[in-house]
Amino acid sequence: MKREVGINQLKRRDFLKAGLVFGAGASGLAAGYAAVPDAFARAVYAAKKEGMTNENILVMIQLAGGNDGLRTLVPLADPALHDLRPKLAGPMVSQALPLNSQYGLNHNLGGIKGLWDKGKVAIVQGVGYPNPTFSHFESIRIWETGDPTRRQVDGWLGRTLAENYDSKGHPLTGCACGATGAPGALRDLQATLTVIQDQKKFGFTGGSEVEAAVGALYKGTPGIYGALFDTAIATATETMATLRTSAASYQPMADYSDQVRLVYSSKNQLAAALQLAAEMIVTGTGVKLLHVTLGGFDTHYTELNRHDDLMGYLDSAVSAFYQDLAAHKMADKVLIATWSEFGRRPRENASGGTDHGAAAPLLLIGDPVQGGLYGEEPSLTSLDNTGNLKYAVDFRSVYQEILSGHLGADSAKILGSSFDRVSFLKAPVAV
Amino acid sequence: MGVASSTDEVVAAPARARGITRRQALAAAAVTGVGVGVVRLLGGSMQQIAAPRTGGTTDWISPLQAESARVMQLLRRTSFGYTPSHLETALSDGFNKTLDRLLETPPATPPALAIASTPGGRFPIQQLQQWWIDHMLTTPTPFAERMTLFWHGHFTSDYRKTADDTFMYWQNLTWRRMAMTDLRSMLMKVTADPAMLRYLDLATSTGQNPNENYSRELMELFTMGAGNYSEDDVREGAKALAGWQLPQPDSIATVTVDNKNNVTRRLPVYSSQKEGVFNQRRAFSGSVTFLSKTGRLDTQGVIDRILGQPATAPFIANKLVQHFVTARPSASYVTALGDTFRRSKYDMKTLMRAIFTSPEFVSEKSYRSLVKTPTEFMVHSAQALGLTSITKLITGSGSGMGQSLFDPPDVNGWPNNEAWISSNTVVERVNFVTAVLGQVKGSLPPVADAVHRHLDGVLSPQTSTLLNQAADERARWFVLLASPEFQLK
Repeated sequence: MKREVGINQLKRRDFLKAGLVFGAGASGLAAGYAAVPDAFARAVYAAKKEGMTNENILVMIQLAGGNDGLRTLVPLADPALHDLRPKLAGPMVSQALPLNSQYGLNHNLGGIKGLWDKGKVAIVQGVGYPNPTFSHFESIRIWETGDPTRRQVDGWLGRTLAENYDSKGHPLTGCACGATGAPGALRDLQATLTVIQDQKKFGFTGGSEVEAAVGALYKGTPGIYGALFDTAIATATETMATLRTSAASYQPMADYSDQVRLVYSSKNQLAAALQLAAEMIVTGTGVKLLHVTLGGFDTHYTELNRHDDLMGYLDSAVSAFYQDLAAHKMADKVLIATWSEFGRRPRENASGGTDHGAAAPLLLIGDPVQGGLYGEEPSLTSLDNTGNLKYAVDFRSVYQEILSGHLGADSAKILGSSFDRVSFLKAPVAV
Repeated sequence: MGVASSTDEVVAAPARARGITRRQALAAAAVTGVGVGVVRLLGGSMQQIAAPRTGGTTDWISPLQAESARVMQLLRRTSFGYTPSHLETALSDGFNKTLDRLLETPPATPPALAIASTPGGRFPIQQLQQWWIDHMLTTPTPFAERMTLFWHGHFTSDYRKTADDTFMYWQNLTWRRMAMTDLRSMLMKVTADPAMLRYLDLATSTGQNPNENYSRELMELFTMGAGNYSEDDVREGAKALAGWQLPQPDSIATVTVDNKNNVTRRLPVYSSQKEGVFNQRRAFSGSVTFLSKTGRLDTQGVIDRILGQPATAPFIANKLVQHFVTARPSASYVTALGDTFRRSKYDMKTLMRAIFTSPEFVSEKSYRSLVKTPTEFMVHSAQALGLTSITKLITGSGSGMGQSLFDPPDVNGWPNNEAWISSNTVVERVNFVTAVLGQVKGSLPPVADAVHRHLDGVLSPQTSTLLNQAADERARWFVLLASPEFQLK
């Protein structure tokens, strides 16, 4: 049988195979989308099932730079901590908000402690993966793709979008709030997603005429970036229409503030990003997978004040977000999960900071959560040969529980394997 | 030879035999139907401003067999756009002479930034951003600025953590001066750069208790790439590099930082640009095992050992190629360039000449294979319109497109190519065009010329239809600058 393949199409398929996907190779994290011919993408969408039935929503909060797990969930009674961190340990232990006799939350996580007291916070300890890398960008990619072997190029949430949701015509199914570029976790060749840095500014300043002209300009654009450009414009235009409606009907029921004191100013506005997430959730835009980022966790230097400030910022933004969702009676649908590429070295350095580490706790917050401590506490005296905490829970166990238990997705298909259960959900969806 | 009148020569893409599938033919037919929504804005009569040049395929037809097109591609990739007179000069010189001029002209020094002498470098970062954009718009040596921006993204630092905008200013001056020297000298400048000493914490590292940040990124992001060194190398390298400190200020100024509460701070004042100083007492005194060799090692020794690694030359070559030639270069191309670079003792001019004279640089595949960075897109727009007074608009518009100068997203600098395209960034690019055209008071240059000067006359059916339907010159400029063609280089 003769295959009908044009020269250009062949060239482009080769281009895809050659890896125009993630920033593979020496460019490190220069991650981006693959440019895929529109017609090709459309064919895949058409073959997809209608979408998933449950109404649950996931919000991932990336703590970029490597969050210090020992200053997030503080070991209160381990003398080894003071040997490892003569400068940093004292205040963090004495001020911590105790959860039990062994552990306390960072003293600036008062709002999250309040949610813990109501059984709405699960903390999974000692989360990591085998043979950890201490490169930000390698480790971010591993967490984003869900693949420590670094073969996978699409993001785990992007694959979820592609696998489970008919995102064609529903570009808001996956949304990155407070960013200008697509986060790797949401990327997939066949997934459409929306990126909105600042809702107040998201629109064509030239009005509807410009919108129409640009819509006509970006159709069937040739070249390797053509489909990417066209999809970006189509997605933006559709999202603007949706947000015009939702903005009119949304009233925030909490006090979101980005006016926080930080040792150095933040690149992203976490509270505004979460407020936009709340707006999309409570107005029924159909959003399912949301991603926001708070940067600044690479605390090699003067960690004491800087990390405390970041914890406080995280706490106030997440608390407002939860309060807003609860006031709109949507809190039972939404799972909030933090992630970070690694924890930090147990031993502090000369600069009053800590270098790149390995295992760390993850926070899971919301009504769907069965509150409590999960996983295994990492030992401060039995460190690995790089002086780092050994992991006890594979991060994909957490993903698995989110995918199958919360979203009702086929996690084995998305993650390529099954992992030990970590049962941090109150009523996991039966798959 | 004028470009505008040489339509045929510039764009005459020979009708090469290309297989077109039925699906592609259908897609091409479908896209020629322009939405009715544009008629009001673009309600003029049909004019033959432009004809589609994609020939019904789904790829751009490369015009690069014509030398004029090769010259324009060279300029688009080595500068921040060009004015008609820049282009005329380059076209009459031809590709080789233009390349010689780009590579051999020493960088023009930007005017001194007076506010940079503010104690403690406490002045608004926008001042520094505007100073640089002004220079990009007016410099006689734009390639130097293009390379300075490349190094700013490679040996990156941000003003937030550096917390001294004077240091950021110095870094920019240093990167420009060293941009086309050699990697060995550059790495020494980078290590001792005050902004870098702050940004990657080397200034507070000691031999006794080293901070690994600079040691790791020096190997992972600046020279070798992940996977080519061990964690032990990071640790041992950190020991060997420890000892650098910020330069001593010439004096200390007492500055009122809060008038209301009468709060003062003592801030450093420098009379001239300085480098970091090495303090032997903070250094590591023993021997280290670094990249498979054991012995005492100073900073120059660390750099030389890194330069002795086979991974270093191709790593730098690969990154440059992704900025100047193609998003996904072949391994053999990168290897060959890396060999040239290493043999030249890491000479930047040799490497850049090899890149620009390689067949890959002007291959059919290279045509529109790169996405302009936000800064390139904005400055090119200004050049195309002949505007030099929109610096504030440019500095204010970068962040929504993902690029704010002196404020990279992280230690890996800015991503490139496809990463510049998202729903947020394309809207911001269009909004920038709206804003720029709103600032044009006088008459606009003729679009019919600009289509050839800036887009080689190679247009999609969409772009050419909209240009032909546009009501007036302003609307045609909008289409040109907002078009996908103009986002590419």
